[in-house]
Amino acid sequence: MPDSSNPDALLVEDIRQGKPEAWNNLIAHYEGRLLAFVQSRLRRRAASEDVVQETFIGFLTSLPNYDTRRPLESWLFSIAAHKLTDYLRREGRRPAIPFSTGDDSSGAWEPAGSARGASSIARSGERHGLEDQAVADGLRQQIDRWRSQDDWQKIQCMELLFVVGLGNKQVAGQLELSEQQVANFKFDFLERLRTIVRGARLNEDIFPELYE
Amino acid sequence: MSSQFTTAQLEAFLDESLPDEQMTAVEAALRDDPDLAERLSSLVGRRDAGVHTVGAIWRRHRLSCPTREQLGSFLLEVLPEKHAQYVRFHLEAIGCRYCNASLEDLRQQHAATDLDDSRTRRQKYFQTSAGYLSSDK
Repeated sequence: MPDSSNPDALLVEDIRQGKPEAWNNLIAHYEGRLLAFVQSRLRRRAASEDVVQETFIGFLTSLPNYDTRRPLESWLFSIAAHKLTDYLRREGRRPAIPFSTGDDSSGAWEPAGSARGASSIARSGERHGLEDQAVADGLRQQIDRWRSQDDWQKIQCMELLFVVGLGNKQVAGQLELSEQQVANFKFDFLERLRTIVRGARLNEDIFPELYE
Repeated sequence: MSSQFTTAQLEAFLDESLPDEQMTAVEAALRDDPDLAERLSSLVGRRDAGVHTVGAIWRRHRLSCPTREQLGSFLLEVLPEKHAQYVRFHLEAIGCRYCNASLEDLRQQHAATDLDDSRTRRQKYFQTSAGYLSSDK
């Protein structure tokens, strides 16, 4: 049953029933942002439109796997990103990344402090998705709390530290904070994340950065 | 040379979600930097092993992205100042590809609306004034 409070879920339900008008609505609603996303990389209108076209076809073919609890826009962007990557590879612009060989430190990786081999912790996609969702839910709660307190600086700080990967000193410089303040914010945030991981009974080995 | 990119940025590269100019910079560097290729390969290995990173989860779930409505308000300059500052930071300092694409789409829609609006206005001005045109001169 689609969630009646989620208009995208209702739209997708209509598309699943083969209603052309619903499909037309989805295209009209999302094609502009998808085109802007692709065109910012390709810079060529015709090629960008081709990739967006492939994205919509990709959406229809992946429809049986789409969980309507997941935001539709993010799902479409992720398909567009894959189609864009495929296109850039075909063009020879994006070199293929070799997969890990598992034979030495360059490719193989094992969680710190674990006696188990990487293969023993290779788990199903479903399990990985549940872990990902549990941490995302906890993070979202924390970010929403900061938002409600108008504490945008902490969001900026964590985004620069974890999403961009900058060091404390660089973050302090960008946000006009002291390094000590950044270190304190980071300490509290990591503690919060560790609590989330423990609370969800997740394997700590698969979140190594929380224990570094 | 590969050290010019952080691990979080390389993770974003794998997901095609780094800002455009950084995507291009990684692609260019990859052509003659074996260390960079090795770092990326290692990251793929970590993912294969089931390792999570906060940055990847944050990006994938778009945890701090403004909503489409908030982006619209930002464009119209009606967001509260602190919130608007954050959105600017997210768009410019973080360079969120998805939000920048959404904002660009909104800009184009607004421009199209302006065009429609001006067409409507011209039509209205014409219709309400045409009767005053004098044909006896």
